[in-house]
Amino acid sequence: MGGCSACPTDIVRGPGYDREGDPPRVNIDAVQHFVDFCRANSIWPMTFGLACCAIEMMGAGMARVDMSRYGSEVFRPSARQCDLMIVAGTVNKKMAPAVLQLYEQMPNPKWVIAMGNCAISGGPFAIKENYNVVEGVDRLIPVDVYVPGCPPRPEALLEGIFKLQELISGKRHPLPQSKGMFAPHRTNPTGISND
Amino acid sequence: MIDRIAQKLTAIPGLDLARTDAAATGVALDAVVPSESVRAFASELRSEEFMIESVTALDAKPQMMVLYHLTRVDSGLRVCGRVLIDRENPECPTISDIYPGANWHERETHDFFGIVFTGHPDLSPLILPEDSAGLVPLRKSDENLKELGAVVPRFAPPAPAEEKAEVEK
Repeated sequence: MGGCSACPTDIVRGPGYDREGDPPRVNIDAVQHFVDFCRANSIWPMTFGLACCAIEMMGAGMARVDMSRYGSEVFRPSARQCDLMIVAGTVNKKMAPAVLQLYEQMPNPKWVIAMGNCAISGGPFAIKENYNVVEGVDRLIPVDVYVPGCPPRPEALLEGIFKLQELISGKRHPLPQSKGMFAPHRTNPTGISND
Repeated sequence: MIDRIAQKLTAIPGLDLARTDAAATGVALDAVVPSESVRAFASELRSEEFMIESVTALDAKPQMMVLYHLTRVDSGLRVCGRVLIDRENPECPTISDIYPGANWHERETHDFFGIVFTGHPDLSPLILPEDSAGLVPLRKSDENLKELGAVVPRFAPPAPAEEKAEVEK
């Protein structure tokens, strides 16, 4: 299979705008901070799942966990409209070219979350007899945040999103919608605890 | 019906038919088919309105085995065909022209076991990536390879008479 021939090998891992080929259009700190703040609070992930982790990713978008509270609910069905690729599941060698193509179709700046043990390191497939699983999606594309678990709970993915927001804007979750003036004014009508 | 089908199958040259307990194994008729009679076996069952359920293989020593499962939808009668083939030069005639549904099963078996189904129209990789030539992931390594008799009860060597007597005591 080999590595990605199109990606530069000395790619900088970190906020997407630091990567080669797409320098910021306006290189003023204050503007950049504002842009970062906006980006961190409207991350659009790709509708893209490879295995059982994708079920947990869907759970993260549903009402109980509801990642839209943190600005990343708009799952886009086209790579060209996405900021974030959540690699949720096992990447096998037959799927690898498609994953790579999707990543390359995403406009800069772009980020990648490797969700689950398979996407991080091959998970249970990283054994001697393995013949078809790519042992870690970071062998194909640069990964910004790793969310371990088999599969990770939706809360873990949410934590991964917070980490990514921290990476993008330098602040952990810059717009807390559950605290201060954003706190909900009524008690939980269902009586079921989310905590 | 089972008697008629059994009669028809035993007429195929070289075919060794055994009746098995369908409640225990799910298979009513268990046939060991020589590879040159596979096509006759498939045609016979096709004319009896059997459908192809699966084609797969089993890697064992001294020979590997191609397995066919054919079933009648109305009665649930299932026939198992076993074809013993050489490990070094695994070849078996295709039945994909008799059963079009066997086409992809045979391609998959070719992917995983490297068995060449002679006469198959297209044995390109179905499940494995295109550049996986020479990869036969489900073939066993030498230390994992078992005797066929240890895996399939039908091929188990008959227990020695003395041992049997001891068990009876």
